[in-house]
Amino acid sequence: MAQSEPAKSAQPKRRRPLEGVRVIDLTKIVAGPNATRMLATMGAEVIRVEWHDQRALDLLRGVQPKAPGGEADSFNRSGLFNNINPGKFGITLNMSLPQGRDLFKRLIAKASVLCENYSPGQMDRWELGYDTLRKINPGLIYLQISGMGKSGTYKDYLSVGPTAQALSGLTHMSGLPEPMPPAGWGYSYLNHSTGYYGAMHVMMALLNRRKTGRGCYIDLSQTEVGVMTSGTATLEAQMTGKPTERHGNRMPVADWAPHGAYPCRGNDEWITIAVQTDGQWQALVAEIGSSDWARDARFETAAERKANEDDLDRLIAEFTKNEDRYDLMHRLQKRDIPAGVVQKADDRLTRDPQLKERGAFVPLPHSEIGTWPVEDFPAKFQNMSVEVGGRPGRAAPCMGEDNDAVYRDVLGLTLEEIAQLKEDWII
Amino acid sequence: MNTEAALSAALGGTVVIESGDERGEFAGVLLASFGAEVIRLEGRQGSNSRRLGPFASSQSDAEQSLCFWRYNLGKKSVSLEVDHPGARDVLKRLGQRADVIIDSGEAADVGRRLGLYREMQVSNPGLIVCTITPFGLDGPYRDLKMTDLTQLAMGGVMASCGYDPQPDGLYDTPPIAPGMWQAYHITCEHAVIAITAALNFRERTSEGDCIDVSIHEAVSTCTEVALPSYIYNERVVRRQTGRHAGLAKTPPWLRRTKDGRYVKAFLFWGGRDVRVITEMLNEAGIEHNLDSDAYRELSERSPSEAHKNFSGLIDTLVASMTAEEVFHRAQAKGLLWASVRFPEENIDDPHYQARGTFKTIHRPGLDHDLAYPVSVATDGKQRVTTFQFGAPHLGEHTQEVLGQVGYNEAEINALTAEGAI
Repeated sequence: MAQSEPAKSAQPKRRRPLEGVRVIDLTKIVAGPNATRMLATMGAEVIRVEWHDQRALDLLRGVQPKAPGGEADSFNRSGLFNNINPGKFGITLNMSLPQGRDLFKRLIAKASVLCENYSPGQMDRWELGYDTLRKINPGLIYLQISGMGKSGTYKDYLSVGPTAQALSGLTHMSGLPEPMPPAGWGYSYLNHSTGYYGAMHVMMALLNRRKTGRGCYIDLSQTEVGVMTSGTATLEAQMTGKPTERHGNRMPVADWAPHGAYPCRGNDEWITIAVQTDGQWQALVAEIGSSDWARDARFETAAERKANEDDLDRLIAEFTKNEDRYDLMHRLQKRDIPAGVVQKADDRLTRDPQLKERGAFVPLPHSEIGTWPVEDFPAKFQNMSVEVGGRPGRAAPCMGEDNDAVYRDVLGLTLEEIAQLKEDWII
Repeated sequence: MNTEAALSAALGGTVVIESGDERGEFAGVLLASFGAEVIRLEGRQGSNSRRLGPFASSQSDAEQSLCFWRYNLGKKSVSLEVDHPGARDVLKRLGQRADVIIDSGEAADVGRRLGLYREMQVSNPGLIVCTITPFGLDGPYRDLKMTDLTQLAMGGVMASCGYDPQPDGLYDTPPIAPGMWQAYHITCEHAVIAITAALNFRERTSEGDCIDVSIHEAVSTCTEVALPSYIYNERVVRRQTGRHAGLAKTPPWLRRTKDGRYVKAFLFWGGRDVRVITEMLNEAGIEHNLDSDAYRELSERSPSEAHKNFSGLIDTLVASMTAEEVFHRAQAKGLLWASVRFPEENIDDPHYQARGTFKTIHRPGLDHDLAYPVSVATDGKQRVTTFQFGAPHLGEHTQEVLGQVGYNEAEINALTAEGAI
């Protein structure tokens, strides 16, 4: 799906929401880079700081899927990395050397924001904790993302997205009722949402700094993001004293039925239907047509449909199983019944006219792999310039791609000095 | 810990008017947690979420909905029928006072009100208007009827969540929509990012903006590797029980514990993990052959068979302990494992108590206070966001808020009589 279209043209810099904000990005994998992705999209100058030995490398640079062709061991071909890191500048810096850490401090002196998600204690071991860095730059906003947070009983516990999802309660809440096990989330949802909260907190801190003149330290916990998004479960359990249960795709808090995913014609093709009112039910009965069961008294009212939901779901599935999923969705929608196809990635990319018309996938150039679609920010703006290609107007940076430009323009180094730093394995 | 750090006042002095239905309510909650004054406009019958359970009492009372309490924490309530002709002047005056307007619902309804919001921006050019609709304000799907479930389906989340297929590769279980309101969470988080960016923009330019947030697009950006897998390799991930959807079947993560619960016990098959798990097996007194020549020979001859054997030993290890024991012992040895907790089990956990993740909020008339999740971060000492009060009663702040924009008691009574409030 490589494309040849150029990136969107750059808007006047005045329209960028975060014009004048420089972010030093020491993040890895998805949660941290997703936070800085948002900041780059909003116009911040995000400088991604990396190093290429095995211990320091962002593992995401090596994961599948990779753009076809090229050298197998290239750090620049991961499609997931490209989708998570567009709009950023990329430099290399060997933080394990004192000279590298000195350069890092010089970058911090010129920055507004630092984002990092190293393992517990790493920045302190380098003597680069917030208390040190704030002396260099009192206005610095320091976002530190970790699985459990940097304080509390679990501050030294290790976590990745699925760990945080399990502990927060999100895994338990997703799936069919017991005796089935939890289905959980089929990906690291909390890597995405922790990034959202990271960006949100940084931008709040920028507003706060305008008012107070002060920077701040933000110790963001991925697990707590999961707790925050656990809906009404904690409240209900406190009221009832009963543990939270799973409900599959059913609606546990209202008499909405049918409410689920139903099989359609083909292999693993599904449609979701969510009937919220008696009117929608009557419309569904009309669409089903001549089947007597649909007019059964057991399904006449919302309360009765809810009480007989097992039978109802079985009969709806009998109706849907020979239907084409998109055709059925459009027929149901014509009758104002909420219904949506369970779209897979190929459906979203090739069969979804809405995402296409709204430009949800932006072709962005990459210096090694060419132009590929990148997911855009999911909103349109009338006034501001918000572009997923960010200030460089491109997809993710290659490793160290912007060394010369950044060290020259931000730190004022000469090309000779930069060459020497490369020679000394510092950048 | 009961105090809050400065970010909880980052939006102090910022007035947010929130209209529409349940789709946008979480955005207002997040803005309130940073100190914004969020004024929820509800029709005379109250927000949709007041009619959604669970309820605090056996009656489905509009004042007893836990759904409303959760998603309207820290807001003020003004009773106003926004589409009533008499509400127009009220909205205009509120728009003069507001920094942000959030409106959510069907695109046709929100779009109808957009003209009025644009009029407000003429006299208040710094006003930020954010609409939240199923597909955005344009496009061929603009008017499709949607719910949280159908949005999670269309946006691609459900295609990655669920259970393993049968041995023949066919699925006998449906894709799963993780509960609850996750499409709206994802969307509202993006809406708040957009609004906060706009507030930063306004600081520099004094200009507002109109932001058109699409729930469909927001959900579609939140499926991790699913889209890149197709974009780059034209391959589609398949859902698996309790672990990431993948292109090929992966070993199980979920394992059952002695107390009938689950843990997520990953198997990375690295040398360090094998050594640590061997230690744990020894400590638990579980017989194994992991350090035998026979096992080493098996590992070389048939890695998959050795892997299966190893995974079985982990099952035995996990089954010998409670979920919490597994969690703490594994973490003490540097494994990324966790117990699969019920969300409410975190409320009394000393870790979250120390970090101030939850805050107990009193509601008059309720015989015990409820702990709400209020913060995802600290400043190193204390939580950074919070709520000063719980969800409002229907119309609780109508007099106060309308008084602030110049209505006297007689005028408010007249608006009530004509059905606008």
